[in-house]
Amino acid sequence: MRPEQIVEATLFASQGPLTPEELARADESLDAAGVREAIEALREAYDEADRAFQVYQLGEGYQVLTRPEYAPYLERFDAVPRSPTLSEAALETLAIIAYRQPIGRVEIEEVRGVGSSSVLHTLQDWEMIEVVGRGEGLGRPLLYGTTRRFLDHFGFQDLDDLPEPDELSVSLREDGETGGGEGPAEPRSVQRELEPSGAGEAPVREVEVERDG
Amino acid sequence: MSRAPAVPVPGRAPGHLGPEPFVVELDRFRGPLDLLLHLIRSQDIDIFDIPIARITAQFQVALDSGLERLELDRAGEFIEMASTLVRIKAQLLLPRNEEPDWEDDPRADLVRRLLEYEYFLEVARVLLGAEADRRRHFAKGYVEPRSAPEASLPELETGREEFMEAVKSMPEPGPEASHRAPTRGVTVEEKMSLLGRLLEKARRLSFDKLFRPWGTRPHAVAALMACLEMARQQLIRIEQSVPFGSIWIFPRPRLVEGGEAEDVGDEPQAAGAAEGA
Repeated sequence: MRPEQIVEATLFASQGPLTPEELARADESLDAAGVREAIEALREAYDEADRAFQVYQLGEGYQVLTRPEYAPYLERFDAVPRSPTLSEAALETLAIIAYRQPIGRVEIEEVRGVGSSSVLHTLQDWEMIEVVGRGEGLGRPLLYGTTRRFLDHFGFQDLDDLPEPDELSVSLREDGETGGGEGPAEPRSVQRELEPSGAGEAPVREVEVERDG
Repeated sequence: MSRAPAVPVPGRAPGHLGPEPFVVELDRFRGPLDLLLHLIRSQDIDIFDIPIARITAQFQVALDSGLERLELDRAGEFIEMASTLVRIKAQLLLPRNEEPDWEDDPRADLVRRLLEYEYFLEVARVLLGAEADRRRHFAKGYVEPRSAPEASLPELETGREEFMEAVKSMPEPGPEASHRAPTRGVTVEEKMSLLGRLLEKARRLSFDKLFRPWGTRPHAVAALMACLEMARQQLIRIEQSVPFGSIWIFPRPRLVEGGEAEDVGDEPQAAGAAEGA
Protein backbone atom coordinates (compact mmCIF):
# COMPACT_ATOMS: atom_id res chain seq x y z
CA MET A 1 0.00 0.00 0.00
CA ARG A 2 1.47 3.30 -1.07
CA PRO A 3 1.08 6.42 1.10
CA GLU A 4 -1.05 8.07 -1.63
CA GLN A 5 -3.56 5.28 -1.41
CA ILE A 6 -3.80 5.47 2.37
CA VAL A 7 -4.24 9.24 2.23
CA GLU A 8 -6.71 8.88 -0.61
CA ALA A 9 -8.78 6.36 1.36
CA THR A 10 -8.84 8.65 4.39
CA LEU A 11 -9.74 11.74 2.38
CA PHE A 12 -12.43 9.77 0.59
CA ALA A 13 -14.03 8.65 3.82
CA SER A 14 -14.02 12.12 5.36
CA GLN A 15 -16.77 14.69 5.17
CA GLY A 16 -14.69 17.63 6.33
CA PRO A 17 -11.20 19.01 5.90
CA LEU A 18 -8.40 17.03 7.57
CA THR A 19 -5.04 18.47 8.50
CA PRO A 20 -1.88 16.64 7.47
CA GLU A 21 -1.41 15.67 11.11
CA GLU A 22 -4.86 14.16 11.26
CA LEU A 23 -4.32 12.32 8.00
CA ALA A 24 -1.01 10.94 9.27
CA ARG A 25 -2.85 9.07 12.02
CA ALA A 26 -3.97 6.58 9.38
CA ASP A 27 -0.62 4.79 9.43
CA GLU A 28 2.63 4.77 11.40
CA SER A 29 4.61 5.15 8.21
CA LEU A 30 3.06 8.57 7.57
CA ASP A 31 4.03 11.96 8.88
CA ALA A 32 2.76 15.42 7.96
CA ALA A 33 5.40 15.92 5.32
CA GLY A 34 4.69 12.50 3.83
CA VAL A 35 0.99 13.33 3.74
CA ARG A 36 1.67 16.56 1.87
CA GLU A 37 3.74 14.67 -0.68
CA ALA A 38 1.02 12.10 -1.07
CA ILE A 39 -1.57 14.83 -1.57
CA GLU A 40 0.57 16.43 -4.25
CA ALA A 41 0.80 13.09 -6.02
CA LEU A 42 -2.95 12.62 -5.77
CA ARG A 43 -3.63 16.09 -7.12
CA GLU A 44 -1.46 15.42 -10.14
CA ALA A 45 -3.05 12.05 -10.71
CA TYR A 46 -6.55 13.51 -10.53
CA ASP A 47 -5.61 16.26 -12.98
CA GLU A 48 -4.08 13.76 -15.35
CA ALA A 49 -7.06 11.43 -15.20
CA ASP A 50 -9.44 14.39 -15.54
CA ARG A 51 -11.38 13.35 -12.47
CA ALA A 52 -14.47 15.33 -11.50
CA PHE A 53 -12.98 15.98 -8.07
CA GLN A 54 -9.76 17.27 -6.65
CA VAL A 55 -8.04 17.62 -3.28
CA TYR A 56 -8.42 21.20 -2.07
CA GLN A 57 -6.80 22.95 0.82
CA LEU A 58 -9.18 24.75 3.15
CA GLY A 59 -7.50 26.44 6.02
CA GLU A 60 -4.97 23.98 7.32
CA GLY A 61 -6.98 21.02 6.18
CA TYR A 62 -7.47 19.09 2.98
CA GLN A 63 -10.70 17.81 1.54
CA VAL A 64 -11.88 16.13 -1.63
CA LEU A 65 -14.35 18.41 -3.38
CA THR A 66 -15.91 18.39 -6.81
CA ARG A 67 -14.46 20.66 -9.42
CA PRO A 68 -16.43 23.85 -10.04
CA GLU A 69 -17.55 22.93 -13.55
CA TYR A 70 -19.82 20.25 -12.11
CA ALA A 71 -21.72 22.68 -9.93
CA PRO A 72 -24.67 23.00 -12.36
CA TYR A 73 -25.33 19.27 -12.09
CA LEU A 74 -24.97 19.06 -8.36
CA GLU A 75 -27.06 22.14 -7.70
CA ARG A 76 -30.06 20.16 -8.90
CA PHE A 77 -29.82 18.21 -5.67
CA ASP A 78 -30.71 20.84 -3.19
CA ALA A 79 -30.71 18.20 -0.55
CA VAL A 80 -28.57 19.35 2.32
CA PRO A 81 -28.66 22.87 3.65
CA ARG A 82 -25.33 24.49 2.88
CA SER A 83 -23.60 27.24 4.72
CA PRO A 84 -25.35 30.54 4.16
CA THR A 85 -24.22 33.23 1.78
CA LEU A 86 -23.27 36.26 3.77
CA SER A 87 -24.87 39.67 3.57
CA GLU A 88 -22.97 42.75 2.41
CA ALA A 89 -22.79 43.99 5.98
CA ALA A 90 -21.44 40.63 7.15
CA LEU A 91 -18.81 40.54 4.39
CA GLU A 92 -17.73 44.08 5.14
CA THR A 93 -17.41 43.31 8.84
CA LEU A 94 -15.52 40.10 8.16
CA ALA A 95 -13.13 41.97 5.90
CA ILE A 96 -12.31 44.38 8.69
CA ILE A 97 -11.87 41.61 11.24
CA ALA A 98 -9.71 39.53 8.90
CA TYR A 99 -7.26 42.38 8.39
CA ARG A 100 -7.29 43.94 11.83
CA GLN A 101 -7.71 41.02 14.16
CA PRO A 102 -7.78 40.93 17.08
CA ILE A 103 -10.23 43.79 16.99
CA GLY A 104 -13.07 44.98 19.20
CA ARG A 105 -16.57 46.04 18.31
CA VAL A 106 -15.91 49.74 18.81
CA GLU A 107 -13.01 49.75 16.37
CA ILE A 108 -15.10 47.89 13.81
CA GLU A 109 -17.88 50.42 14.20
CA GLU A 110 -15.43 53.27 13.76
CA VAL A 111 -14.41 51.89 10.39
CA ARG A 112 -17.93 51.09 9.22
CA GLY A 113 -19.59 54.16 10.69
CA VAL A 114 -22.55 52.06 11.80
CA GLY A 115 -23.55 49.92 14.76
CA SER A 116 -22.33 46.37 14.34
CA SER A 117 -23.34 44.29 17.33
CA SER A 118 -26.03 42.31 15.55
CA VAL A 119 -23.83 41.49 12.58
CA LEU A 120 -21.13 40.37 15.03
CA HIS A 121 -23.59 38.04 16.70
CA THR A 122 -24.60 36.58 13.36
CA LEU A 123 -20.99 36.00 12.37
CA GLN A 124 -20.39 34.30 15.70
CA ASP A 125 -23.46 32.12 15.25
CA TRP A 126 -22.08 31.00 11.92
CA GLU A 127 -18.67 30.42 13.49
CA MET A 128 -16.98 32.78 11.06
CA ILE A 129 -15.49 34.71 13.94
CA GLU A 130 -14.76 33.99 17.57
CA VAL A 131 -13.70 35.84 20.65
CA VAL A 132 -9.92 35.62 20.78
CA GLY A 133 -9.29 37.71 23.83
CA ARG A 134 -10.03 40.88 25.70
CA GLY A 135 -8.64 44.28 25.03
CA GLU A 136 -7.15 46.78 27.40
CA GLY A 137 -9.21 49.64 28.59
CA LEU A 138 -12.66 50.24 29.91
CA GLY A 139 -14.64 47.06 30.43
CA ARG A 140 -11.94 44.98 28.80
CA PRO A 141 -13.80 44.74 25.49
CA LEU A 142 -14.05 41.46 23.64
CA LEU A 143 -11.68 41.06 20.72
CA TYR A 144 -12.68 39.09 17.67
CA GLY A 145 -10.73 37.04 15.17
CA THR A 146 -11.57 34.84 12.21
CA THR A 147 -11.95 31.07 12.50
CA ARG A 148 -11.05 27.98 10.50
CA ARG A 149 -14.62 27.97 9.33
CA PHE A 150 -14.01 31.41 7.82
CA LEU A 151 -11.17 30.04 5.74
CA ASP A 152 -13.28 27.06 4.69
CA HIS A 153 -16.26 29.23 3.76
CA PHE A 154 -14.19 31.30 1.36
CA GLY A 155 -11.94 28.50 0.20
CA PHE A 156 -8.85 30.19 1.60
CA GLN A 157 -5.74 28.34 2.68
CA ASP A 158 -4.73 31.05 5.08
CA LEU A 159 -5.11 34.76 5.64
CA ASP A 160 -2.42 35.47 3.07
CA ASP A 161 -5.04 34.60 0.47
CA LEU A 162 -6.69 37.89 1.26
CA PRO A 163 -5.69 40.52 -1.27
CA GLU A 164 -2.75 42.77 -0.55
CA PRO A 165 -3.58 46.48 -0.51
CA ASP A 166 -1.88 47.13 -3.85
CA GLU A 167 -3.79 44.34 -5.54
CA LEU A 168 -6.94 46.37 -5.13
CA SER A 169 -7.99 49.23 -7.32
CA VAL A 170 -8.35 51.52 -4.34
CA SER A 171 -4.92 52.96 -4.17
CA LEU A 172 -4.10 55.18 -1.30
CA ARG A 173 -0.96 56.61 -2.81
CA GLU A 174 -1.49 57.61 -6.42
CA ASP A 175 -4.65 59.63 -6.03
CA GLY A 176 -3.05 61.87 -3.48
CA GLU A 177 -1.27 64.19 -5.84
CA THR A 178 -4.07 66.67 -6.28
CA GLY A 179 -4.82 66.60 -2.62
CA GLY A 180 -2.82 69.65 -1.68
CA GLY A 181 0.82 69.62 -2.68
CA GLU A 182 2.99 67.32 -0.68
CA GLY A 183 -0.06 66.46 1.30
CA PRO A 184 -0.92 62.90 1.77
CA ALA A 185 1.16 62.08 4.78
CA GLU A 186 -2.05 61.12 6.51
CA PRO A 187 -3.30 58.66 3.90
CA ARG A 188 0.09 57.01 3.87
CA SER A 189 -0.24 56.05 7.45
CA VAL A 190 -3.57 54.57 6.48
CA GLN A 191 -1.74 52.54 3.92
CA ARG A 192 0.53 51.15 6.55
CA GLU A 193 -2.30 50.23 8.86
CA LEU A 194 -4.06 48.41 6.09
CA GLU A 195 -1.33 45.87 5.55
CA PRO A 196 -3.07 42.62 6.32
CA SER A 197 -0.34 41.09 8.37
CA GLY A 198 1.23 44.12 9.94
CA ALA A 199 3.66 43.92 12.79
CA GLY A 200 2.54 43.04 16.25
CA GLU A 201 -0.60 41.14 15.33
CA ALA A 202 0.32 37.95 17.03
CA PRO A 203 -3.14 36.37 17.21
CA VAL A 204 -3.37 36.45 13.41
CA ARG A 205 -0.49 34.07 13.42
CA GLU A 206 -2.36 31.73 15.67
CA VAL A 207 -4.68 30.85 12.84
CA GLU A 208 -1.76 29.86 10.72
CA VAL A 209 0.10 27.92 13.32
CA GLU A 210 1.44 24.55 12.33
CA ARG A 211 0.91 25.15 8.68
CA ASP A 212 4.40 23.98 7.98
CA GLY A 213 4.89 21.95 11.11
CA MET B 1 -11.04 76.44 -2.52
CA SER B 2 -14.49 74.93 -2.53
CA ARG B 3 -17.07 77.33 -3.73
CA ALA B 4 -19.99 77.28 -1.44
CA PRO B 5 -23.53 77.72 -2.64
CA ALA B 6 -25.22 80.33 -0.50
CA VAL B 7 -27.83 78.09 1.08
CA PRO B 8 -27.94 74.33 1.29
CA VAL B 9 -31.12 74.25 -0.82
CA PRO B 10 -33.45 71.94 0.99
CA GLY B 11 -36.62 70.58 -0.43
CA ARG B 12 -35.96 71.23 -4.09
CA ALA B 13 -35.22 68.75 -6.79
CA PRO B 14 -31.70 67.57 -6.12
CA GLY B 15 -30.78 67.86 -9.78
CA HIS B 16 -29.35 71.34 -9.55
CA LEU B 17 -26.96 70.43 -6.78
CA GLY B 18 -24.43 68.89 -9.08
CA PRO B 19 -23.64 68.23 -12.67
CA GLU B 20 -25.63 64.97 -12.57
CA PRO B 21 -29.15 64.75 -11.31
CA PHE B 22 -29.34 62.03 -8.76
CA VAL B 23 -31.90 60.48 -6.51
CA VAL B 24 -30.72 58.70 -3.44
CA GLU B 25 -32.67 56.04 -1.60
CA LEU B 26 -31.32 56.40 1.88
CA ASP B 27 -32.19 52.90 3.03
CA ARG B 28 -30.18 51.43 0.19
CA PHE B 29 -27.03 52.56 1.95
CA ARG B 30 -25.45 50.70 4.78
CA GLY B 31 -24.48 53.86 6.53
CA PRO B 32 -23.28 57.43 6.20
CA LEU B 33 -19.87 56.45 4.85
CA ASP B 34 -21.47 54.34 2.15
CA LEU B 35 -23.68 57.27 1.16
CA LEU B 36 -20.82 59.76 1.17
CA LEU B 37 -18.67 57.49 -0.96
CA HIS B 38 -21.52 57.10 -3.38
CA LEU B 39 -21.94 60.87 -3.68
CA ILE B 40 -18.23 61.32 -4.24
CA ARG B 41 -17.59 58.45 -6.61
CA SER B 42 -20.74 58.83 -8.68
CA GLN B 43 -19.79 62.43 -9.45
CA ASP B 44 -16.13 61.75 -10.12
CA ILE B 45 -15.08 63.99 -7.30
CA ASP B 46 -11.43 64.01 -6.28
CA ILE B 47 -11.55 62.49 -2.85
CA PHE B 48 -8.55 64.54 -1.74
CA ASP B 49 -10.34 67.74 -2.62
CA ILE B 50 -13.94 67.19 -1.63
CA PRO B 51 -16.18 70.20 -2.27
CA ILE B 52 -17.58 70.04 1.22
CA ALA B 53 -20.36 72.59 0.73
CA ARG B 54 -21.80 70.76 -2.25
CA ILE B 55 -21.48 67.31 -0.69
CA THR B 56 -22.97 68.53 2.56
CA ALA B 57 -25.97 69.94 0.73
CA GLN B 58 -26.45 66.72 -1.20
CA PHE B 59 -26.07 64.66 1.94
CA GLN B 60 -28.75 66.72 3.67
CA VAL B 61 -31.12 66.38 0.73
CA ALA B 62 -30.68 62.63 0.89
CA LEU B 63 -31.41 62.71 4.62
CA ASP B 64 -34.48 64.86 4.14
CA SER B 65 -35.87 62.38 1.69
CA GLY B 66 -35.57 59.25 3.74
CA LEU B 67 -34.47 59.78 7.30
CA GLU B 68 -37.87 59.24 8.88
CA ARG B 69 -38.09 55.79 7.36
CA LEU B 70 -34.98 54.61 9.19
CA GLU B 71 -34.77 53.09 12.61
CA LEU B 72 -33.65 55.48 15.28
CA ASP B 73 -30.13 54.09 15.60
CA ARG B 74 -29.50 54.16 11.90
CA ALA B 75 -30.95 57.65 11.59
CA GLY B 76 -28.60 58.80 14.34
CA GLU B 77 -25.60 57.55 12.43
CA PHE B 78 -26.55 59.62 9.41
CA ILE B 79 -27.27 62.69 11.52
CA GLU B 80 -23.91 62.40 13.22
CA MET B 81 -22.19 62.44 9.84
CA ALA B 82 -24.28 65.41 8.71
CA SER B 83 -23.09 67.35 11.73
CA THR B 84 -19.48 66.36 11.03
CA LEU B 85 -19.86 67.69 7.51
CA VAL B 86 -21.31 70.96 8.73
CA ARG B 87 -18.46 71.32 11.20
CA ILE B 88 -15.87 70.76 8.49
CA LYS B 89 -17.65 73.22 6.26
CA ALA B 90 -17.47 75.82 9.00
CA GLN B 91 -13.80 75.15 9.64
CA LEU B 92 -13.04 75.59 5.97
CA LEU B 93 -14.46 79.09 6.15
CA LEU B 94 -11.95 80.08 8.78
CA PRO B 95 -8.75 81.69 7.55
CA ARG B 96 -5.98 79.12 7.23
CA ASN B 97 -2.27 79.02 6.56
CA GLU B 98 -1.17 80.34 3.20
CA GLU B 99 0.76 77.12 2.72
CA PRO B 100 -1.91 74.50 2.32
CA ASP B 101 -0.94 71.71 4.61
CA TRP B 102 -2.70 68.38 4.47
CA GLU B 103 -2.35 67.86 8.19
CA ASP B 104 -4.20 71.10 8.77
CA ASP B 105 -7.00 70.38 6.36
CA PRO B 106 -10.25 69.91 8.28
CA ARG B 107 -11.20 67.31 5.70
CA ALA B 108 -8.18 65.09 6.31
CA ASP B 109 -9.74 62.85 8.92
CA LEU B 110 -12.90 62.34 6.90
CA VAL B 111 -10.85 61.49 3.81
CA ARG B 112 -8.86 58.97 5.79
CA ARG B 113 -12.05 57.31 7.02
CA LEU B 114 -13.59 57.26 3.56
CA LEU B 115 -10.53 55.68 1.99
CA GLU B 116 -10.27 53.15 4.74
CA TYR B 117 -13.92 52.25 4.41
CA GLU B 118 -13.69 52.04 0.64
CA TYR B 119 -10.74 49.75 1.00
CA PHE B 120 -12.74 47.34 3.10
CA LEU B 121 -15.66 47.57 0.71
CA GLU B 122 -13.33 46.31 -1.95
CA VAL B 123 -12.06 43.51 0.27
CA ALA B 124 -15.70 42.59 0.89
CA ARG B 125 -16.19 42.33 -2.87
CA VAL B 126 -13.19 40.00 -3.08
CA LEU B 127 -14.73 37.91 -0.30
CA LEU B 128 -18.01 37.80 -2.18
CA GLY B 129 -16.25 36.40 -5.22
CA ALA B 130 -14.32 33.88 -3.15
CA GLU B 131 -17.54 32.77 -1.48
CA ALA B 132 -19.21 32.23 -4.84
CA ASP B 133 -16.23 30.23 -6.11
CA ARG B 134 -16.17 28.12 -3.00
CA ARG B 135 -19.84 27.31 -3.32
CA ARG B 136 -19.19 25.71 -6.65
CA HIS B 137 -17.24 22.96 -4.92
CA PHE B 138 -19.28 20.21 -3.34
CA ALA B 139 -18.21 17.89 -0.57
CA LYS B 140 -19.03 14.33 0.14
CA GLY B 141 -22.43 13.85 1.70
CA TYR B 142 -24.00 16.72 -0.18
CA VAL B 143 -26.35 14.51 -2.17
CA GLU B 144 -28.66 12.51 0.06
CA PRO B 145 -28.24 8.75 -0.26
CA ARG B 146 -31.95 8.18 -0.92
CA SER B 147 -34.71 10.57 -1.65
CA ALA B 148 -35.55 12.31 1.55
CA PRO B 149 -38.76 11.18 3.19
CA GLU B 150 -41.54 13.63 2.55
CA ALA B 151 -41.03 16.35 5.02
CA SER B 152 -43.77 16.41 7.58
CA LEU B 153 -45.34 19.77 7.00
CA PRO B 154 -46.55 21.77 9.92
CA GLU B 155 -50.27 22.05 10.30
CA LEU B 156 -51.51 24.97 8.31
CA GLU B 157 -53.26 27.88 9.78
CA THR B 158 -54.86 28.55 6.45
CA GLY B 159 -53.94 31.88 5.01
CA ARG B 160 -55.58 33.91 2.32
CA GLU B 161 -53.26 32.71 -0.44
CA GLU B 162 -53.96 29.05 0.19
CA PHE B 163 -57.65 29.80 0.37
CA MET B 164 -57.60 31.56 -2.99
CA GLU B 165 -55.54 28.77 -4.55
CA ALA B 166 -58.15 26.25 -3.57
CA VAL B 167 -60.90 28.44 -4.91
CA LYS B 168 -59.14 28.76 -8.21
CA SER B 169 -58.91 25.01 -8.48
CA MET B 170 -62.67 24.65 -8.08
CA PRO B 171 -64.30 23.07 -11.11
CA GLU B 172 -66.17 25.37 -13.44
CA PRO B 173 -69.93 25.18 -13.07
CA GLY B 174 -71.17 22.21 -15.02
CA PRO B 175 -72.50 22.76 -18.53
CA GLU B 176 -76.06 21.90 -17.54
CA ALA B 177 -75.95 24.70 -15.05
CA SER B 178 -74.82 27.28 -17.51
CA HIS B 179 -78.05 27.39 -19.46
CA ARG B 180 -80.26 27.34 -16.44
CA ALA B 181 -80.97 30.98 -15.92
CA PRO B 182 -80.66 31.97 -12.32
CA THR B 183 -84.09 32.80 -11.13
CA ARG B 184 -82.81 35.42 -8.76
CA GLY B 185 -79.59 36.82 -7.58
CA VAL B 186 -78.13 36.03 -4.23
CA THR B 187 -76.48 38.38 -1.80
CA VAL B 188 -73.45 37.80 0.34
CA GLU B 189 -75.61 38.51 3.39
CA GLU B 190 -78.01 35.72 2.46
CA LYS B 191 -75.13 33.34 2.07
CA MET B 192 -73.72 34.39 5.39
CA SER B 193 -76.92 33.70 7.24
CA LEU B 194 -77.29 30.41 5.40
CA LEU B 195 -73.78 29.46 6.39
CA GLY B 196 -74.55 30.48 9.94
CA ARG B 197 -77.66 28.27 10.02
CA LEU B 198 -75.80 25.35 8.52
CA LEU B 199 -73.11 25.66 11.12
CA GLU B 200 -75.67 25.67 13.89
CA LYS B 201 -76.72 22.20 12.82
CA ALA B 202 -73.37 20.79 11.83
CA ARG B 203 -70.27 21.29 13.84
CA ARG B 204 -68.28 21.63 10.70
CA LEU B 205 -68.82 22.02 7.04
CA SER B 206 -66.76 20.92 4.12
CA PHE B 207 -65.82 23.90 2.04
CA ASP B 208 -66.76 21.97 -1.10
CA LYS B 209 -70.31 21.52 0.19
CA LEU B 210 -70.83 25.24 0.04
CA PHE B 211 -70.45 25.21 -3.68
CA ARG B 212 -71.77 21.90 -4.80
CA PRO B 213 -75.51 22.45 -4.50
CA TRP B 214 -75.51 25.65 -6.55
CA GLY B 215 -73.88 25.49 -9.89
CA THR B 216 -74.02 29.10 -10.87
CA ARG B 217 -71.23 31.55 -10.64
CA PRO B 218 -73.08 34.24 -8.66
CA HIS B 219 -73.87 31.67 -5.99
CA ALA B 220 -70.30 30.45 -5.85
CA VAL B 221 -68.98 34.00 -5.64
CA ALA B 222 -71.45 34.95 -2.96
CA ALA B 223 -70.63 31.82 -0.96
CA LEU B 224 -66.93 32.55 -1.20
CA MET B 225 -67.42 36.16 -0.19
CA ALA B 226 -69.59 35.07 2.69
CA CYS B 227 -66.86 32.71 3.85
CA LEU B 228 -64.21 35.39 3.68
CA GLU B 229 -66.37 37.96 5.38
CA MET B 230 -67.28 35.61 8.20
CA ALA B 231 -63.65 34.63 8.64
CA ARG B 232 -62.77 38.29 8.78
CA GLN B 233 -65.40 38.90 11.42
CA GLN B 234 -64.00 35.91 13.26
CA LEU B 235 -67.33 34.11 13.14
CA ILE B 236 -65.82 31.07 11.50
CA ARG B 237 -62.49 29.35 11.43
CA ILE B 238 -61.21 27.81 8.21
CA GLU B 239 -58.88 24.85 8.47
CA GLN B 240 -57.09 22.36 6.38
CA SER B 241 -55.13 19.63 8.06
CA VAL B 242 -52.98 18.57 5.15
CA PRO B 243 -51.83 20.66 2.21
CA PHE B 244 -54.24 20.33 -0.70
CA GLY B 245 -56.61 18.36 1.52
CA SER B 246 -60.20 19.31 2.04
CA ILE B 247 -60.99 22.56 3.70
CA TRP B 248 -63.26 22.63 6.68
CA ILE B 249 -65.24 25.46 8.10
CA PHE B 250 -65.86 25.57 11.83
CA PRO B 251 -68.03 27.89 13.82
CA ARG B 252 -65.97 30.05 16.09
CA PRO B 253 -66.65 30.62 19.72
CA ARG B 254 -67.47 34.19 20.32
CA LEU B 255 -66.74 36.32 23.29
CA VAL B 256 -69.81 35.81 25.40
CA GLU B 257 -71.32 38.81 27.10
CA GLY B 258 -69.74 37.97 30.40
CA GLY B 259 -66.38 38.26 28.71
CA GLU B 260 -65.26 34.69 29.07
CA ALA B 261 -63.94 33.25 25.86
CA GLU B 262 -64.80 29.77 24.78
CA ASP B 263 -62.22 28.06 22.76
CA VAL B 264 -63.97 24.80 22.05
CA GLY B 265 -64.98 25.64 18.54
CA ASP B 266 -66.73 22.38 17.89
CA GLU B 267 -69.23 22.78 20.69
CA PRO B 268 -72.78 23.33 19.46
CA GLN B 269 -73.50 26.34 21.62
CA ALA B 270 -70.84 28.25 19.78
CA ALA B 271 -72.79 27.98 16.56
CA GLY B 272 -75.03 30.78 17.69
CA ALA B 273 -72.15 33.04 16.95
CA ALA B 274 -73.06 33.12 13.31
CA GLU B 275 -76.34 34.81 14.06
CA GLY B 276 -74.75 38.16 14.30
CA ALA B 277 -74.31 38.03 10.55
